[in-house]
Amino acid sequence: MNQDEKDQEYREIFLAEALENYTEINRLLTVVEKNIGDSQAIHALFRITHTLKGNATGMGFDKIAELAHVMEDFFGEVRDGRIALGSDIFSSVFKAADVLGELIEAIKTPKDVKYRGIKTKLEVLIKNATEGTMRTEHHPASAQVATARPSADILPLQAGDESESAGSTQVAFSDLIQVSVKKLDNLLNLVGELIIERDRIIANNARSHTANEFSRLNRISSDLQYSVMDVRLVQVGFLFNKFHRIVRDASVKESKQVNLKLEGVETEIDRNILQVISDSLIHLIRNSVGHGIESPEERIKKGKTAEGNIMLSATSESDTVVITIKDDGAGIDPQRIKQKAIAKNIIHAQDANQLSERDLIMLIFEPGFSTMDHVTAISGRGVGMDVVKRALDSIGGTIQVDSMIGEGTIITLRLPSSMAVKSTLLFELESQTYAIPLSYTESVISIYKSAIHKAGQGLVTVHLGNTIHIVFLSDLFAQSVGDSRGRYASFDQLHGEQKLEVVVVTFNGKRIGFIVDKLLQQKEIVEKPLRKPFDTISFLSGTTILGNGNVCLSLSIPGIVNALFTNQVNKTVNA
Amino acid sequence: MSKTTQIKEPNADHGRIQQIVVFKLGQEEYGLHIDQIREVVITPVITRMPQTPSFVKGVANIRGNVIAILDLEDKFGLADHSSKRSENNFTLVIESDEYKMGILVYEVPNTLSISSTSIEASVFTGDQHAEQSYIAGIAKLDKRLIIMIDIFKVIGEQEMQHVFKRQNPQTQQV
Repeated sequence: MNQDEKDQEYREIFLAEALENYTEINRLLTVVEKNIGDSQAIHALFRITHTLKGNATGMGFDKIAELAHVMEDFFGEVRDGRIALGSDIFSSVFKAADVLGELIEAIKTPKDVKYRGIKTKLEVLIKNATEGTMRTEHHPASAQVATARPSADILPLQAGDESESAGSTQVAFSDLIQVSVKKLDNLLNLVGELIIERDRIIANNARSHTANEFSRLNRISSDLQYSVMDVRLVQVGFLFNKFHRIVRDASVKESKQVNLKLEGVETEIDRNILQVISDSLIHLIRNSVGHGIESPEERIKKGKTAEGNIMLSATSESDTVVITIKDDGAGIDPQRIKQKAIAKNIIHAQDANQLSERDLIMLIFEPGFSTMDHVTAISGRGVGMDVVKRALDSIGGTIQVDSMIGEGTIITLRLPSSMAVKSTLLFELESQTYAIPLSYTESVISIYKSAIHKAGQGLVTVHLGNTIHIVFLSDLFAQSVGDSRGRYASFDQLHGEQKLEVVVVTFNGKRIGFIVDKLLQQKEIVEKPLRKPFDTISFLSGTTILGNGNVCLSLSIPGIVNALFTNQVNKTVNA
Repeated sequence: MSKTTQIKEPNADHGRIQQIVVFKLGQEEYGLHIDQIREVVITPVITRMPQTPSFVKGVANIRGNVIAILDLEDKFGLADHSSKRSENNFTLVIESDEYKMGILVYEVPNTLSISSTSIEASVFTGDQHAEQSYIAGIAKLDKRLIIMIDIFKVIGEQEMQHVFKRQNPQTQQV
């Protein structure tokens, strides 16, 4: 998307919001007019004009910003009780709202809107009000008169100059509509079902008709699916732009100087995914300010600029969106992480010695980990990093941390750009069909039972030089529903020459081979999330309906691997 | 939910006629208010789920919705292994804002109109624990005794999560 289009899109969004604000201002004004004491409505007016001012300033619409600013001040005075509202004051406030509406309209169809008159009028009101209160401090009795009188004098006088200039009562329509996400979710669900139904019909009629018959149906429904997915895409900029404020607040609290740079704000991503990761991103950014960037004095001592830099960038790579957070701060010291993790019983000292530096850094995502020795206002409560990890796991994203001591840290998040369609491998297990996401699948191998060995607490095999931890999914699932079968139950029952189908997955550097009964096919599935009461199941990420109408369970590799792995960690800690 | 409160306060409205759906669990007859039931279907193919308690039979596709299928005989400890089950069993589809689920029944459920006065609201079943509260009342009808249940309390959120949590340590012993 080029700069012009981007500007155009931003302008449309501003316009939509501004028109909405304008409508809301009018609504609230009528509310206040009927009930002058409605402080909630006054507060709302103050807030809306404030937002509008901010948005307009950001977009460079100075006229709107100026007028909104004065209106904000005005409502501030009303809120604080320094201006008493009367019918004549209302007429000028409504007038101001109308002019504001015209100014907003003028963005779309440029025309000259006179706004200074009404702006001055409000300014006079405010000025009188503040002077009025100053006087009231000395003469409390005259307060009422002092606040009300001047406005009454001035208002009607200037009302003529730009009033009834054209179209002030015209109803404005925006080119954008707002749709609730729930409706979009519903639409996507329906499209998902349509695709499933299409596949079923095509499968049933594969023999009796030629493929051509369905090609149009195929194309139209696919287009529909992608259109609906496209509607759900938003630019990451909407989230990223909020970080200026977050970084500013965090750095003020920490007395640090931080400069935030944004890149790739026009990258598009599914709105729900952006929502899921927004808290995580806020947390990571705050951590960068809190833990990463050093204090100005320290930075100068190290020969860096006093001002720290954080770069937040997004790029899209085919089906993934990569978000990186890069700071030029102190970096993460793997040895400190190690000591801390051992001290907190997150890992056993012996195990820790075998971990690479990168794996050591990954320990920060374990629950209960926090490297700061003291708790600061914005970071260091020891909650969060594990929450970040879990949020990413839930949407099939990954996180990677690269750090150089003294140089800085780069955190890389890889996110699916859309939640809707997943490429999966279907397999059969105990006459049920399951789907395993291809994004985690490394390879599919076929081995004999004799190649699998009991080692320590589990089963391993070696394939092409890689050691693979072998898990019988049937045993895992049976145990998860309370069946107390032994560790090697399925393995011991097997005939020695039995050939086994193994799906090898990797997650977080762990390589695990799942034994399945039968491999079926690769398939794009439309996954439905697990609903209550199944939302606590960690082994599955969702379900889909197959062409034959049966429900197919989609495995959550992070969930399964974490269950397997935390169990091992627990054992070493307890041993 | 409002219906259950009606059942609990039979005196509030004298002799109002209510429609209930009656189904057999074990040897007992259980009743649900008809408003809580969306439809009755022949049980579709059930897909078993990992990490669930045994009374959760799995999920099934009912009109495009993936719905949890529960076996209340298992849940209430009424499972009757002596009698042979016919293959054609039914699923009562229950719907609320929060939940959609199916309850397995082995005979065609029937509908009854009963007067709300014939439902005795406060029942002490000898079980002080929380689970007792899912019994919304006992309906007496000639010689029949129908146990009215509040289905949303049976699989209330806390209850479910409690069961799942108890289940989880076992999943760890892989």
